[in-house]
Amino acid sequence: MPKLTIDSTSVEVPEGTSILDAARKAGIRIPSLCHLKGVQTIGACRVCLVEVEGARTLAASCAMPVADGMTVRTTTAKVRQARKTVVELLLSDHGGDCQTCVRSGDCELQSVARDLGITQVRYEGDRHCRLVDTSTPALDRDSSKCIMCRRCITVCNEVQATRALWAQDRGFQSVAAPAFGKSLAEVACVQCGQCAAVCPTAAITEKDHITPVWAALADPTKHVIVQTAPAIRAGLGECFGLPGGTLVTGKMVAALHRIGFNGVFDTNVTADLTILEEGTELLMRLKKALVDKQPVALPQYTSCCPGWIKFAEYYHPDTLPNLSTAKSPQQMFGALAKTYYAAKIGKKPEDLYVVSVMPCTAKKFEAQRPEMNSSGVQDVDAVLTTRELGRMITQAGIDFLALPDEQMDQPLGISSGAADIFANTGGVMEAALRTVWCVVTGTPFPFEKMHVAPIAGLEGVKEVSFTIPTAVPDWKFLEGVTVKVAVAHGLANADRLIRKIKAGEASYHFIEVMACPGGCIGGGGQPRFTDNEVREARMQAIFAEDEGKQMRMSHESPIVAQLYSEFLGKPLGEKSHHLLHTHYAARPVL
Amino acid sequence: MSKVTSISVCAGAGCVSAGSMAVSAALKDAIATRKLNVRVVETGCLGPCVGGPVVLCQPDGILYQKLAVADVAEVVEKTVMRGEVVERLAWKRAGTEAPTPLCADDPFFNRQVKIALRNCGVVDPLSIDDYIAHGGYEALNKALGMGPDAVIAEVKNSGLRGRGGAGFPTGLKWEFCRKAKGDVKFVLCNGDEGDPGAFMDRSLLEGDPHSIIEAMIIAGFAIGGSQGYLYVRAEYPLAVERLGIAIGQARKQGFLGPNILGKGLNFDLEIRMGSGAFVCGEETALMTSIEGKRGEPRPRPPFPAHSGLWGKPSLLNNVETYANIPAILNKGAAWYASHGTAKSKGTKVFALAGSIRNTGLVEVPIGMPLGDIIYELGGGVPNGKRFKAAQLGGPSGGCIPRQHLDVPVDYESLSELGAIMGSGGLIVMDEDTCMVDMARFFLDFVQDESCGKCPPCRIGTKRMLEIVTRICEGKGVEGDIERLEELGKQIRETSLCGLGQTAPNPVLSTIRHFRSEYEAHIREKRCPAGVCAGLVRAPCQSACPANVDVPGFIALVGQKKIAEALRLHRERNPFAAVCARVCFHTCEDKCRRSMVDDAVSIRGVKRYMADEEVTTQLPEVRPNDTNASRKVAIVGAGPAGMACAYFLARLGYKPQILEGESRPGGMPVQTIPAYRLPREILSQEVRMIERMGVNIETNQRLGRDFSLDDLRNRGFEAVFLGVGAPIGTRLGVPGEETPGVDDAMRFLREYNIRGSAPVGKDVVVVGGGNAAIDTARTAIRLGAKTVTVLYRRTRDEMPAYAEEIEESEHEGVVIKVLTAPLEIVAKDGKVGGVRCQLMTLGDFDRSGRRRPKAASEAPFVVPCDQVITAIGQTLDSKTLLGALPVAVGKDGFIIADKVTGRTSVDWLYCGGDASSGPSSVVEAVAAGERAAVAIDAQLTGAEHAFWRADVACNVPFNPDDEPSHVARAKMQLLAVDRRCGNFREVEQPWTESVALAESGRCLRCDYRETTCFK
Repeated sequence: MPKLTIDSTSVEVPEGTSILDAARKAGIRIPSLCHLKGVQTIGACRVCLVEVEGARTLAASCAMPVADGMTVRTTTAKVRQARKTVVELLLSDHGGDCQTCVRSGDCELQSVARDLGITQVRYEGDRHCRLVDTSTPALDRDSSKCIMCRRCITVCNEVQATRALWAQDRGFQSVAAPAFGKSLAEVACVQCGQCAAVCPTAAITEKDHITPVWAALADPTKHVIVQTAPAIRAGLGECFGLPGGTLVTGKMVAALHRIGFNGVFDTNVTADLTILEEGTELLMRLKKALVDKQPVALPQYTSCCPGWIKFAEYYHPDTLPNLSTAKSPQQMFGALAKTYYAAKIGKKPEDLYVVSVMPCTAKKFEAQRPEMNSSGVQDVDAVLTTRELGRMITQAGIDFLALPDEQMDQPLGISSGAADIFANTGGVMEAALRTVWCVVTGTPFPFEKMHVAPIAGLEGVKEVSFTIPTAVPDWKFLEGVTVKVAVAHGLANADRLIRKIKAGEASYHFIEVMACPGGCIGGGGQPRFTDNEVREARMQAIFAEDEGKQMRMSHESPIVAQLYSEFLGKPLGEKSHHLLHTHYAARPVL
Repeated sequence: MSKVTSISVCAGAGCVSAGSMAVSAALKDAIATRKLNVRVVETGCLGPCVGGPVVLCQPDGILYQKLAVADVAEVVEKTVMRGEVVERLAWKRAGTEAPTPLCADDPFFNRQVKIALRNCGVVDPLSIDDYIAHGGYEALNKALGMGPDAVIAEVKNSGLRGRGGAGFPTGLKWEFCRKAKGDVKFVLCNGDEGDPGAFMDRSLLEGDPHSIIEAMIIAGFAIGGSQGYLYVRAEYPLAVERLGIAIGQARKQGFLGPNILGKGLNFDLEIRMGSGAFVCGEETALMTSIEGKRGEPRPRPPFPAHSGLWGKPSLLNNVETYANIPAILNKGAAWYASHGTAKSKGTKVFALAGSIRNTGLVEVPIGMPLGDIIYELGGGVPNGKRFKAAQLGGPSGGCIPRQHLDVPVDYESLSELGAIMGSGGLIVMDEDTCMVDMARFFLDFVQDESCGKCPPCRIGTKRMLEIVTRICEGKGVEGDIERLEELGKQIRETSLCGLGQTAPNPVLSTIRHFRSEYEAHIREKRCPAGVCAGLVRAPCQSACPANVDVPGFIALVGQKKIAEALRLHRERNPFAAVCARVCFHTCEDKCRRSMVDDAVSIRGVKRYMADEEVTTQLPEVRPNDTNASRKVAIVGAGPAGMACAYFLARLGYKPQILEGESRPGGMPVQTIPAYRLPREILSQEVRMIERMGVNIETNQRLGRDFSLDDLRNRGFEAVFLGVGAPIGTRLGVPGEETPGVDDAMRFLREYNIRGSAPVGKDVVVVGGGNAAIDTARTAIRLGAKTVTVLYRRTRDEMPAYAEEIEESEHEGVVIKVLTAPLEIVAKDGKVGGVRCQLMTLGDFDRSGRRRPKAASEAPFVVPCDQVITAIGQTLDSKTLLGALPVAVGKDGFIIADKVTGRTSVDWLYCGGDASSGPSSVVEAVAAGERAAVAIDAQLTGAEHAFWRADVACNVPFNPDDEPSHVARAKMQLLAVDRRCGNFREVEQPWTESVALAESGRCLRCDYRETTCFK
């Protein structure tokens, strides 16, 4: 293992470690603006420069591997001056309205400037041209705030394989943007928001839904209800300084009550419903294939993730028949809220205002898809990201940490642990397997703590297969069948998996795809900054929430049973079909 | 003359665009019709692009230039059939215009050593057979026999270094790549030549594509790679086309593909076209581009030798580097290493461009002095302009100024001066180039070409560009130079790749060598080269030290508004009549009319204007009682002191002038002979200034009759020192004390002030300036039988005005150049002669001229009975300044601020020769004006120089009219026999029609749509 000296500290780190990481081990924090561990190491921003003894110029510590006997200095006058100059130059070309910027206080450029002690910008001049792109329902771009760190480009291309953002133009005018001067809406952007999640400044942000939500809350003619996705409870605390993975379900509900929502409900309810609809759909497809011997689209892909759906519509339109037709839990909730719930409280759908809190920006897009109006009006009116909810709580003057725990409201507030794990990569699959296993075999789910270990965790593509030992009479044809499932998160991983399947190199029955790395807990709307450590912590919190519940399987949910008996009839029934299922269409890629 | 056997027609891109292909076709046709046995070959670049289309007749090497189809028949009939040279079409040696048909006779050719270019201009680039006939692919065969390690050892031993610019040892690079682990390795060629003014690689690819291919195969063999890529910019279509043909031929003949030459080597090549991004010349960006991505650099390590193209070990060399490889293998490492210097072996190809006579391509041994490349091979700077700097290495490089012309062109020496060898672009700039503007151009280029990846390059160069642009526009502020230096240093240290790290070089390098030019822009709001539009109203006016509105007075003379013209002139320079006779007219050097035919004779028009003056024309004077009561003393009634007094008087001051001599006028009255400046002319303008309220007291010598402290004690609030540099410099040779040795200052003053001076029979004048010529011509007029002027350099370098030298010769003066005095030989206790040494020109000295050194001839004596030295002037600052602590420069002249003329003592100002060293009347006038403005500003707390505001010229002008076709009018001179025995004015008046025609030649560069009406 190479041994090196950083400032006065001697450090030993594995071969290939960067100076930046080695320094961190030595307790030295080197600032950086472009580095994304494990994702992007391009040495572009020049903020992490250090002096390496014997080197001709300063070295970007993120990109420079350590060498045995190396002597590194991180705080010399030369280094400090260089970093300062670089950041001053960035500031000189930055649309700096810090006081009114949505990222104020949460801006990496701002904090790096502060940490470096920059109190004036010595170089003033032209700014690169400003392009404001508000074309998509989910994301806004303001190129004047772009510092060309290229995190968004790398994430969009390499993590998400979406290829919507590229480096455009050259020199001073270079900017991260879609090609040919197009707007985001005109290119194959899936609106996953991973770009916004990694953007160090406010160059890419989620579209503001706080304003319309406050307006609805102030409108006496509106009955405003809110649904919260499972991932929120594991992330929201971070907006208030709590460590990643702190569960704040009760405080979140309390905060939503205080903000003034007329009903605080759980998207988990429709997550449970999704399992029944989607699980039944899978069983029907299997039956059609195995019993009826008819051609059927297999594997079946999950459909809860709107980023993934849009990705498939752009890049894999031939797999659209394989996508489950079940709507996502958000949209099932919206449809039920404006029909079932509205009827229950005696309101017309148009008088109901449904807000969802999602870890996701693509949900903003999904909510306004034209077909998402089963109630006759747009089913979900506004979608707040976790970050936006955090800001709303602050705006409302609520001392979040001091809040008591409160319960979700009824009738849409009770859910199983299976619904909670929708937040994690592999969670939808596990939830489905729990129910399908029990329904098919009539025996308890045989995994430790009910978790399917091979499909949990942060591996990009995971798979598991098992043979069904016995089956109840209805599903007898599945006895002895080896069911193969796969889970992919991060669209580039999904893309690779699909290509493999199309090439005939792999085959499965059921595949879960989540657009964002880690699943919804790592969604594009979650608090910054989300790295693998944070993802891991949030996933554990979600598992804890699941394990803490008596009811661990979706089909056990009394609310689900009530919905079917009172309103929907049966899974895949006519009403379900109308309210809970949807269709997809290929989209041209530019 | 030998019989012509073959004719090479240059088919380089330059000659092709000049029409060489048509010439070639005509030649082939003419030869076929006449059934001659002569081969016509279309070859790569022959080198002298300036003469394109060029054609070379072998075996003698007779070069024809600028050949047209119409000339072909004559060439064939005379040269091919009859063995005669067609002088009209022959190559002309630069500067001499003498036909020099044989290449061997011209240093442009005979000082070159062609290794990389060995086949350019020799082989037919479209024929592999021709290449093989010239020894092609022998090196490959040899290499395959040697084995990879021996090949690498040979390259290492040759000392070859990367010709792309950085100069990394090539052999070492090959070795790294050979040792790198990997089953797939790539051989890459960098043909992305992007520097403005560089075309070495293009010419090689066009002219000798097989040598690059052969070298890449050898490289593939050496490192163990089987695939190569030639990265060539799409802007080089001819290179791409010829390379493509060559690759096809090589594949067909088994030099590319599997089992090459049956020796088991597999190697193939593909061309990748780049879209002309400068940054793709950077190795990692180039590889990213080949991979099909946006061409952007990435951090190193990993280095390409370990992880390059597609993450595989890759060897990347420049085109020229490869071109050397077959020659090294064929002739051996030792042979190659015998060229060049200790640290830089071999040769380097340069593309000569810019202000140089022989634009084109040359290959010289590394270490040749820059001056030799520019003057011997390049033929020097055309149009009588002075060399200013050479830009090496394009936008990443730096400039080398005049004082370093002797620098050996090698990697280390250039980098010590802040330049780089670069890929070989060598752009010569003359005095008309503004270095700030040049830096702005290159900065603009790199700013455009920055990939935008890292902030120092993306934003830093933009900020630098903004500062430099501001300076060029005249909006520069104090501290801008330091800001540029600091920012440049930071960009150099913090940028990701070589482009960014070198992007500030043009600015840093010009600041290093031309700081004063930046200061002139910022502090004096002046562009010395007359280029920057924001600072230059018209080039002539900008070139005038006193900033006289030249187009204005020329236009007014053209309207016969003589009085108005004179008043306009005297807005900035009172001495219209004096300067009409003695000014060295820098204005004419910058006159844009010279681009059409010849400069306007500005001094001629001025002379006419002054001759026509009936009553003395004074511009505005603003009486001011307060100023009148302020006491200002001026020491010296020369042009500087008089001008200072004049401008103060225009502000209402009544300054007091104290003059040491008995007559006011300074150098013009003391040392300029009356045949050039009649006494009455000067007196008139002196009287004019006196009439404005200036009091001149003569015979008051500073240091003898009064001291500066006395002036303070007498209540003078400010003092201007305009005492000139009246003392002749000593020669410093034995025998200088011998009676009969005099100095020019004393001799001329003696005659001009006291009316007589002793003159010998045979007079020797030592020196080459105006004082020397004035002395020689005065001596002739005073009855000397022979007058010989000795000058140690060449005639071109004589500082005296060319027309004065010429006229002195007409009057019988003998000019002996390249002759230096060694000793004054005494005879009978008096001067008997001067022992002289013939000189020859050696290295370039700090002035950018060749240093004279003793020639091999033995010394000889020029007999004479009087020696007058005119080699320089100085002043006795100790006597003048007394105990006053005034800062004095190493050269003995008084240090004064360039803008204000203020010395280190806050009430003491200085200007003219006393601070600048011997210079011109108009320089002194300018210095006097600046001091007057500064003195007034000091006394009143504000600037009142109302004459400095540009006034639009209201003489109608239509820019759409054809310029007049009249040729420049000559000055009329008194016949030699009517002037030699007297001091009558030599230059005679013009008639009105001549003057009007001449003023009509002005192109009115001052014209702006908003300031002139049609």
